[in-house]
Amino acid sequence: MAQHQVNYSQDGGLPVALTTIDKVVNWGRSNSLWALTYGLACCGIEMMASGASRYDFDRFGTIFRASPRQSEVMIVAGTLTKKHAEFIKRLYDQMAEPRWVISMGSCANTGGMFNTYATVQGVDRVIPVDLYLPGCAPRPETLQYAVMMLQKKIRSEKAAKAQRPKRLM
Amino acid sequence: MRAYTPKNDVQKKSYYTDRYWVAPQVAKSAVSDDAVFEADLNAIKAKFDVSEAYIQVEQMVVYIKPEDLVGVLTLLRDECEYTQLSELSAIDWLAKQGQFELFYQMLSMTKRKRLRIKCFIDEDQAIESVSSLFRSADWSEREMYDMFGVKVNNHPFMKRILMPDDWQGHPLRKTYPLQGDEFASWYEVDRIYGKEARDVIGPEIRESAKVDRYDTERFSRLGYEVPFGAEPKAADAEKTPLAYQEEEGVFLIEKFDENDVVESAEFRKR
Amino acid sequence: MQQPNRLRPFFENITFDREDNEMIVNFGPQHPSAHGQLRLMLHLQQEQIVKAHPDVGYLHRGMEKMAENMIYNEFMPTTDRMDYIASSSNNYGFALAVEKLIDVEVPRRAKVIRMMILEINRLMSHLFWLATTALDIGAMTVFLYAFREREYLMDIIEGYCGARLTHAAIRIGGVPLDIQDNFISELKAFLDKLPENIKDYEDLLDKNRIWLMRMEDVGVIPTDMALSWGCTGPMLRASGVAWDIRKEEPYELYDEVEFEVPFSDKGDNYARYKVYMQEMRESAKILYQTIDMYAETVANNQTELMAHAPKFISAPKLELMTQNYSLMQHFVLVTQGMRPPVGEVYIATESPKGELGFFINSQGGPYPYRLKLRAPSFWHTGILTDLLPGHYIPDVVSIIGTTNIVFGEVDR
Repeated sequence: MAQHQVNYSQDGGLPVALTTIDKVVNWGRSNSLWALTYGLACCGIEMMASGASRYDFDRFGTIFRASPRQSEVMIVAGTLTKKHAEFIKRLYDQMAEPRWVISMGSCANTGGMFNTYATVQGVDRVIPVDLYLPGCAPRPETLQYAVMMLQKKIRSEKAAKAQRPKRLM
Repeated sequence: MRAYTPKNDVQKKSYYTDRYWVAPQVAKSAVSDDAVFEADLNAIKAKFDVSEAYIQVEQMVVYIKPEDLVGVLTLLRDECEYTQLSELSAIDWLAKQGQFELFYQMLSMTKRKRLRIKCFIDEDQAIESVSSLFRSADWSEREMYDMFGVKVNNHPFMKRILMPDDWQGHPLRKTYPLQGDEFASWYEVDRIYGKEARDVIGPEIRESAKVDRYDTERFSRLGYEVPFGAEPKAADAEKTPLAYQEEEGVFLIEKFDENDVVESAEFRKR
Repeated sequence: MQQPNRLRPFFENITFDREDNEMIVNFGPQHPSAHGQLRLMLHLQQEQIVKAHPDVGYLHRGMEKMAENMIYNEFMPTTDRMDYIASSSNNYGFALAVEKLIDVEVPRRAKVIRMMILEINRLMSHLFWLATTALDIGAMTVFLYAFREREYLMDIIEGYCGARLTHAAIRIGGVPLDIQDNFISELKAFLDKLPENIKDYEDLLDKNRIWLMRMEDVGVIPTDMALSWGCTGPMLRASGVAWDIRKEEPYELYDEVEFEVPFSDKGDNYARYKVYMQEMRESAKILYQTIDMYAETVANNQTELMAHAPKFISAPKLELMTQNYSLMQHFVLVTQGMRPPVGEVYIATESPKGELGFFINSQGGPYPYRLKLRAPSFWHTGILTDLLPGHYIPDVVSIIGTTNIVFGEVDR
């Protein structure tokens, strides 16, 4: 299972005092998160809506890029099927470190309403996930809240060495 | 000893059916009630065997022999103006009579009529492809093969379409469980990480309503989180507050205040 | 750091000993263009496509099998996720099929509300189509404008049923909720501004040289190919056949409203584009008429929203909460499920993408014995096999755009 780097306690409980360089690097990373468009199903439409006119994503510094080589966060929006599982792993591997994954919607979190033979019961069976976003489909504001949470998480990480690999197995 | 569950139909069954209850039938009427359908049926009967024909919910249903499929559909397309094959698929009656029931839904736009051609085939009986007549059958027959295992001859490209190419099993058969057999449940793990990873990743969790109050790693404690690995105490129901940004704010980034609401109704007055 | 896994590099595109100069390009399941999970394997000769092989199934979630294990009402939200851009049209198709099976008559106000929701969904779907097609071709401004309009519609639907995208607003037997107070005023405000918005989009795109070059004479679907491939909806209408199920086999109250069916005989991308734009205007016309029809039902005091068929459909909430027998029947219907008569039905409705059909074979049990979902986008993706050869790679994007494929439908 995905090992958890997520700290459930509040901001005050940070285990490590951060240096200025860490702070600056993390500030830069968190405020220019380029997302990989991974809209698979209905949540993808809400992701597009959250990047469109009313709920803009550009104000977070987030631009949707199509290529995994140029993006940092993969927002898995929609149902992952077993036929597709191989490709999401490939694309995740092609992303360069530092990289994060937001699992958006019930289908990506746990397989959702599709308790069937062809659905992967949660994206975290295949790739390690940083943030789970419930909803079916989550509102665009919820996705933006998730991005803010991710930004907070990034700012609290150590920037110096490459991310400790999130071992799935 | 566990109760005996028959394996030839593992779909969900109603847990109680009244013993003497007889299900009503949707009304069927004779084909002679509708002149257009009668003409079409006579055209088919002239050349092929029709075992049964009736009208149900304003559409004619005609039962033919599987060998005559291509002939009947050619006749319908060329002479009876049924220019579109809306749909074709199969129904699994293997448990009841060991056969599949195929249906071909035809549409005639000039006559504004819909017609269903049906036939029964055995489990391993092959049928002729009609994709030379209607190109839509190309993909429909692939789907039928994928989902039921119905063999189709003379098809331009008979490969699985909805399931991955190396899938084993035909999902829509009644013997196939909804949640997949063992091959299905480990498919993605085997493919990506190999069989050795099965123990590491663990089986799929398919109980949708499972809640474990001592589970700090899944979603059951959403909103009442405790630090990783800590013991959740019974009485502490401290809700984790929603904190959009760090307390002291971030350099150059506007402080987000959830009380700072923008009324979207403003934007609608254009 | 690469975690150890079984995936080997994917070199199927490159075969090193080919004699001809053919190259295989994999238009992979993850797309930059917004259409979902289509994998197209294109065999190219220099830049021209000689063979195209679409591979679908990356969103197959097993809906038909789910239906065999769920009661009819339980399956309704699943139909939402088929064509997730206009979810109520799928809900409606399923509800209509079941209603024909159990033979109930839906009350008039429910029919009017259903028509309103259906046409709002049609507008939402066409706006989305316009936005994503324009985005693929490169006209990003139209994407933002069309999404802005779409947001207003989603606000209206959200006010009605609580959900923006996956509505489940239409139930078997009618609609569960009456429209809220500001529904009509907001809808009217939107419809009044719609013609100028559509005119904005047309001004930006109609005579635009780049748009014309990308869309005219590209992706021509001759009429016989369209008929043979089972194309329906705007794809068929743009290829010369004026077949609209709302006119030819009317359901709901479509025979009482006046609207026209736009069609073209050229069959290229531009024709489809024009058909979609005109259909948006026709939907607006229908919506004005339904607003009047709703006012009429208010005047005639026809307030029932769900059909009266106690064996199959639960009573309205007020009655449920006060009458004992209604509550008991509702309990049975919700736990055991309603049992329609033994029989089969195939009902097709005109969804924004084409002919959406539901084939239900019931054996008298609470679960359908076989439910086949006939999704128009399935064959619209199949037609790419015959359509793409002869075109160039940029044409692939514009053709996929105008065929309006939604993968929730294709793969179910």
